[in-house]
Amino acid sequence: MSKDSKQTPTDKQPQKLAPTDAQTHEDSLIDVNRRSFLGGTATLAAGSALGGGVIGASLLPMDAEAATFSEVKPGKLDEYYGFWSSGQAGELRILGIPSMREMMRVPVFNRCSATGWGSTNESIKILTEGLLPETKEFLKDKGGMWQNGDLHHPHMSFTDGTYDGRYIFANDKANTRVCRIRCDVMKVDKIIEIPNASDIHGLRPQKYPRTGYVFANGEHRVPIPNDGSVLDDPSKYHAIFTAIDGDTMEIAWQVMVDGNLDNCDADYQGNYAISTCYNSEGGVTLPEMMSSEQDWAVVFDIKRIEKAVKKGDYKTINGVKVIDGRKGSRYTRYIPVSNSPHGCNTAPDGRHIVINGKLSPTVTVIDVNLLPDVFSDKIKPRDAVVAEPELGLGPLHTAFDGKGNAYTTLFLDSQMCMWNIDKALQAYKGKDVNPIIKKIDVQYQPGHNHSSMGETKEADGKWLVSLNKFSKDRYINVGPLKPENEQLIDIGGSVSVVHDGPTFAEPHDCIIVRADIVNPRSVWDRNDSMWEDARQWAKKDGVTLETDNKVIRDGNKVRVYMISVAPNFGLDKFTVKQGDEVTVIVTNVDQVDDLTHGFTMANYGVAMELGPQATASTTFKADRPGVHWYYCQWFCHALHMEMRGRMLVEPA
Amino acid sequence: MSPHSASKREQARKLLNTELDDVKGKPLGEWWTRPVASATAVALSVTLVAGAGLGSNLYAQSSLPLSVASSTISSSVSSNPKDFVADITASSSEQNLSLQQLLDSTEPGDTLDLEAGTYAGNITISTPLHLRGNGEVIISGNGSGRVITVDAADVRLSGLTVQDSGIDLSVEDAGIFVTKNGINTHIHDNQLHNNLIGVYLKGARDALVENNQILGRSDLRMNERGNGIHLWNAPGSKIIGNEVRFGRDGIFVTTSKDNQFLNNQLSDLRFAIHYMYTNHSEVSGNFSSNNHIGYAIMYSHHLKVHDNVSEGDRDHGLMLNYTNQSHFQANRVGPTEQSQAGPEKCVFIYNANFNQLLDNDFERCHIGIHFTAGSQDNRVAGNTFVQNRTQVKYVGSRFLEWSNDDRGNYWSDNLGFDLNGDQISDRPYRPNDMVDQLVWRYPLSKLLLNSPAVELLRWSQSQFPAFYPGGITDSYPLMSQPTREHSSQ
Repeated sequence: MSKDSKQTPTDKQPQKLAPTDAQTHEDSLIDVNRRSFLGGTATLAAGSALGGGVIGASLLPMDAEAATFSEVKPGKLDEYYGFWSSGQAGELRILGIPSMREMMRVPVFNRCSATGWGSTNESIKILTEGLLPETKEFLKDKGGMWQNGDLHHPHMSFTDGTYDGRYIFANDKANTRVCRIRCDVMKVDKIIEIPNASDIHGLRPQKYPRTGYVFANGEHRVPIPNDGSVLDDPSKYHAIFTAIDGDTMEIAWQVMVDGNLDNCDADYQGNYAISTCYNSEGGVTLPEMMSSEQDWAVVFDIKRIEKAVKKGDYKTINGVKVIDGRKGSRYTRYIPVSNSPHGCNTAPDGRHIVINGKLSPTVTVIDVNLLPDVFSDKIKPRDAVVAEPELGLGPLHTAFDGKGNAYTTLFLDSQMCMWNIDKALQAYKGKDVNPIIKKIDVQYQPGHNHSSMGETKEADGKWLVSLNKFSKDRYINVGPLKPENEQLIDIGGSVSVVHDGPTFAEPHDCIIVRADIVNPRSVWDRNDSMWEDARQWAKKDGVTLETDNKVIRDGNKVRVYMISVAPNFGLDKFTVKQGDEVTVIVTNVDQVDDLTHGFTMANYGVAMELGPQATASTTFKADRPGVHWYYCQWFCHALHMEMRGRMLVEPA
Repeated sequence: MSPHSASKREQARKLLNTELDDVKGKPLGEWWTRPVASATAVALSVTLVAGAGLGSNLYAQSSLPLSVASSTISSSVSSNPKDFVADITASSSEQNLSLQQLLDSTEPGDTLDLEAGTYAGNITISTPLHLRGNGEVIISGNGSGRVITVDAADVRLSGLTVQDSGIDLSVEDAGIFVTKNGINTHIHDNQLHNNLIGVYLKGARDALVENNQILGRSDLRMNERGNGIHLWNAPGSKIIGNEVRFGRDGIFVTTSKDNQFLNNQLSDLRFAIHYMYTNHSEVSGNFSSNNHIGYAIMYSHHLKVHDNVSEGDRDHGLMLNYTNQSHFQANRVGPTEQSQAGPEKCVFIYNANFNQLLDNDFERCHIGIHFTAGSQDNRVAGNTFVQNRTQVKYVGSRFLEWSNDDRGNYWSDNLGFDLNGDQISDRPYRPNDMVDQLVWRYPLSKLLLNSPAVELLRWSQSQFPAFYPGGITDSYPLMSQPTREHSSQ
């Protein structure tokens, strides 16, 4: 949506009725008159894209909210990708911004009926290879893998302070994992479990020089080792900060800290990472966690930690190098802030980090240029604070427009507070200026927010999304379980809400990435590593995946190779014996965009997605004799219904 | 000084030193095995600071001319006054006893009377006793630590001027700090000046803080100041008749229950009362002025909030956020006598449910009542909404009725008639239609209420359905403003 087409209530373009093609001329006239007549009132003006206000504006000076036009017309493309988390749904979602249209779901920690994520051999490998040995053991009689996840914070890899389109990393709070999503195919390629920590919450990639590290916060303090011998000895509980190598998805190092770890971010210089702590008390009950007047933000000195790793100043626990960063350590500093801070956001100016107060109506601004003096003990940790504006109740997260302004979600006030960083700095120095520019009501109770390119040095100040935790009465009632409500705010012009978007459980966070940065493939590369195992089996079996349709028997193991090309599978039947372990390996040799096939084995609970030029495989035990149809469940062709074949399972 | 307490102190000091060594002495290679985990470390750091302050003052005090001490410290014991007085007075002049030493030598139930003078603070009271000031008795923290720590049950502090605590929020520097052992502490008729936190009830049950004057720090930045009276997990405690000014919040409470905050005067603060996670409590008869928010009542249920006043607060007079099953009655929000306008919002009701909002007065705010986030099943009646620029800001899509037993609220902009003289307007009142705006902007237009123009406006609007669903209706609007008997503050 270009700026040109925005309209404010004072624009007199009443004849251009937005999506009202079906309206008669008469309707339009009535509409125009009514709006003109009432146009001065806030609700009415917001409800229409029209100007009006001819009579009302002078007589009744109201808070007329400008109604900016954010519609992306049919056939038009969005300017931004939105990468959305889904919380306890466990997946990643891809939206278009500003249309807020949901375009794709990438299964990550969840099981997916459509794509077979969690049942294909390729996905099982990704879901299980990064688990710790004791977790694998634990899951042995539980299907071998986790069935749920809680994906909160998706963040893209960086190069030189801005998104580079390579990967998206995200956390799993439920089962203490971190995933990596390949942006060239929008599929997960790595999932690792984080040892020693419990419940990964905050996650952010290193911004400079590149990612580099992925920093991950273990939110809950747990005993180390957590072997059941400790419950009520808090001295044995710890929280762990983890740096993952984003290239290898191996853990580079961990830091043990005092308190706990909530959200985190990195600086634009590659020197520091910083995490908020809401439980400096180390408490295990709500009153205990609330008891301190202050908690803190803990800063990690990456260079010092790297040196410590080099010279061996660590302890190896569960195969990971763990550095002692508790109070008094030279690797960390603890900056006191009011009780229970939450969000942690580095401004695109490369200098200021905003710690959001949550239970304090303030945000605390830290100047990264002062951190070297904090680490060399020239100044006290608190002296790195350069502003602390009072914004309203329940500040949780802050986004930026790259023009010196910040937007902080106020959970309790249910508002977005727009404020100026420089003015906040001046106010802290004692100047009588008000940093608050505007407050916008959002519905209801915003958690995270995010602006277009807002966590990069290329923040462009066009769009802001408020991820609201409750929709309450915003939509027609769908029963006791209601959708979340994501609101789009135009910050390039009117600074007002322009769109309500309901979402299923439960996006916590998102990023908004300029479309030119993200360039996924339309068709898979035949050399993709995703099906490397299948490639190796085929090699061993003397099969060419792209052309052969063969059944290879190997004792009671049977490998069925076939291609799919609309509207046929390469094999219209194959035979196995009851009790065989059957692996079906299908290669979609169609090369046309959007020609995805599927392979579903009826009454065997087997289904998988096959993108163009992709190979996928699934293994099952042929315990059930009889004829079983396999069919393509992903619409591919006019004869899609006919695209099927039979598996005969001969009785043993 | 009793040998018992001396040995206890010695033990404590030894323990402290051991722990200090434990922290400092271990080479890094061994840190893993040492039993100091983060939780302990936090607790320890608090102890160390308090302990260090205590120690240094103890020695500083001994060089202090106990000319002060000898002339001003006397004690009386209610149980057996003669023996004790004689004993203590003598020893205090001879041995240059500090106030702390004197406190350590008391027996449970003693009353310790302090004569006028200045005493070094950073004292800890570990015995149930009454510490009483006669005349101008100043206990000063000299800018460090907590001035008085109450660490025993049934302690009473009165007639004291407690001042100059430290300013480190991270270790909770305070004028009077009451630990969880301070059950039934009674703090009354004291002056608390220039402390970071005035009185901190940290886990103290059934304490009573009464008739104190608490003047906090206004020289620090707002967020670096402490609260006047701060309660954490202090069930049954009562805060009555105090005056609190400056500092951060007047009364701050979190994670508590069964509390009473009555008849306090709270001004020049951030929030007069900052209230979270505290159920089954009462907030009444308080007076708030010149604060950012008067009464921020959040995340609690079963409260009685009545007869409070907010005059000339900045953002909200009264704020309910996820406050449920509570009773809000006869509260008054508006401007001061001098100022023209009340707060931005007289009352802000956000996701608050099953409440009674009765007989309150909301006057001359930018918004009379902001009601949103699906707040449900609230009874709203008998209130007056007088000359608020926007009487009601309702954000929601449900239809709500604001009256009770055929009795609604008084709306200063209501143009309805009362032809049958029953004091109830003949026509329902729907706030914030066009006419309300007109009347707010041009009060004299009320005189024109029979005029064709106004009628036309009304009629015109009634012909156009609202763009949004939902809204507030008062089917029984009151024709005249109910008279109130406000308690004079």
